[in-house]
Amino acid sequence: MKTNLQITETIVAFANETELSWLAEQKTLSGKALALAFVKVPRFISKKIIESSEFSSWTLDQLVRLDILIQLDAANIDSLFETAEMQEAVALTRSLPFLPNPSTYLLRATDAVRSNMGPVFDAIAFGNTYPKDYFSEAAWNQLVLKCIFNDKAIHQIIGLDERSNQDLANTLSDFAHERWAADRRVPSQVWRLVPRFMNETLQADIEKLAQSENSRDVLAASLVKQEVQIPGSTQGIWHELENPEPIYTA
Amino acid sequence: MCQEHKPIGNPSHFEGTEQEKTTAHAVDGTFAQYTQGMKFFDPHVHMTSRTTDDYQALADAGVVALIEPAFWLGQPRTGLASFKDYFASLVGWERFRSSQFGIKHYCTIGLNSREANHEALAEQVMEILPLFLQKEGVVGVGEIGFDDQTAAEEKYYRAQLELAKEMNLPVQVHTPHRDKKKGTERSMAIALEHGIAPNMVIIDHNNEETVKSVLDQGFYAAFTIYPFTKMGNERMVEIVKQYGPERIMVNSAADWGISDPLAIPKTAALMKIKEVPDEHIRLVTYQNALDAFAQSGQIQEADFIHGLEIDQTQKFNGNTVLRGGQAPRIDKDSLIIR
Repeated sequence: MKTNLQITETIVAFANETELSWLAEQKTLSGKALALAFVKVPRFISKKIIESSEFSSWTLDQLVRLDILIQLDAANIDSLFETAEMQEAVALTRSLPFLPNPSTYLLRATDAVRSNMGPVFDAIAFGNTYPKDYFSEAAWNQLVLKCIFNDKAIHQIIGLDERSNQDLANTLSDFAHERWAADRRVPSQVWRLVPRFMNETLQADIEKLAQSENSRDVLAASLVKQEVQIPGSTQGIWHELENPEPIYTA
Repeated sequence: MCQEHKPIGNPSHFEGTEQEKTTAHAVDGTFAQYTQGMKFFDPHVHMTSRTTDDYQALADAGVVALIEPAFWLGQPRTGLASFKDYFASLVGWERFRSSQFGIKHYCTIGLNSREANHEALAEQVMEILPLFLQKEGVVGVGEIGFDDQTAAEEKYYRAQLELAKEMNLPVQVHTPHRDKKKGTERSMAIALEHGIAPNMVIIDHNNEETVKSVLDQGFYAAFTIYPFTKMGNERMVEIVKQYGPERIMVNSAADWGISDPLAIPKTAALMKIKEVPDEHIRLVTYQNALDAFAQSGQIQEADFIHGLEIDQTQKFNGNTVLRGGQAPRIDKDSLIIR
């Protein structure tokens, strides 16, 4: 869990002096004025990419927004959610795990899953620990299925293996059948979700994949079989199927 | 707020030669051959009221960026929440929708003149405007001004001019359909009275009667090419020929009425046919609008001129998410839908 100190230290490492003094000035504010500072961030803070393990793929403006958010009261945070423009919605969503009492924002998080704005959906789905820690099984499954439905690469979801479940595996099978009936396919790596939950239907699916003309599907089938025989043995090998394939939008 | 259908009695102001007229009719439907390589900026178009077909057509016609002013939705809103959600959609969902077609979407935020007449609600709207005006990609206060020229309209026009001044934002001024000339003069006089520099004000919906005074006083003059009620593009060509390109811009103001989102490319084609210099076409269909609204500090041409660049924040583990202009396109002529 990242601490406030880590946030501050990372900002200091990446911001310039003008940016730091603007931020310091804003942090003396509170309530509505501080909420307005959150809105104004892009006018004063660059979108420099943060290169640190704690905040990999964050930008400086997002991190500064997080720094402001953790100092804001719940009512003002709510108001920011309700009036958010797209980049604000992304920053708010990425910040969810760091807010005080994260569980109170569950509806905001599941609303981000419902969002049709690609960047907002991605902000909850990928590189975010919130779903793993706070989503119910049903909400988790909805997140993973929406990724698969939208041809986004699921390995970017934190907690993917840990939160896999029978229901998700069964629904994945149903979904794949729909796709196959329409002469479409699903990305090969999605089959990593099933080895612990094999049943007759899934067994048949894997056999079908093994006969596929697509070499990625054949590899997926063999990985599933290997994982069933020796659990844990395919860790890291799925990586080969994580690289972009034509079906992916993400 | 941009229509009053009176198709009858709109005189043709086509002042070109017979030969030009024949050419103009002959190119109907293939106007794009005259705009090859041109890029357009539509500083007034209400995309919320338009379909994805329109976005696709705009992208194909060379429109690379646009501004969506906040306006009247055709019927009055009954509560603050409707305003809030509308403003939020202009900076949220609509922005994303546009990005899917590779078009950079900006907006102006304001309380429109018609709804300024509901004073109790207007007061509440004024309270939330500063929050939205500070948001990224909000390039001005608009569209505001007069419709019926009531006292309430004046009150909120003045209040919003003050907001614009305070935040150093351009102002997009709607001028009335009725009593336009007087309404336009009054709008300009009030802006000057509030100490706003004329180059920070875009006076919209001009015509042959208003343009001279607007330009003479140093304001930007926008022209809306909108069938029946506003300018036709043949008249527009004559205006550019007469006044030159300085501080003049063309827009479509396409909305929920019978309007044409392709008004700018079509006008550019007509200007090309009628031998307006290429540089003048570029200024009135792209550069002047960009310059006027870039005074907000919220427009970077580099963000859209070479297509929407991938936003690094949308990159995870080397994979990219759906990026602007890369939404799967549908072939409109295909009978088969896959």
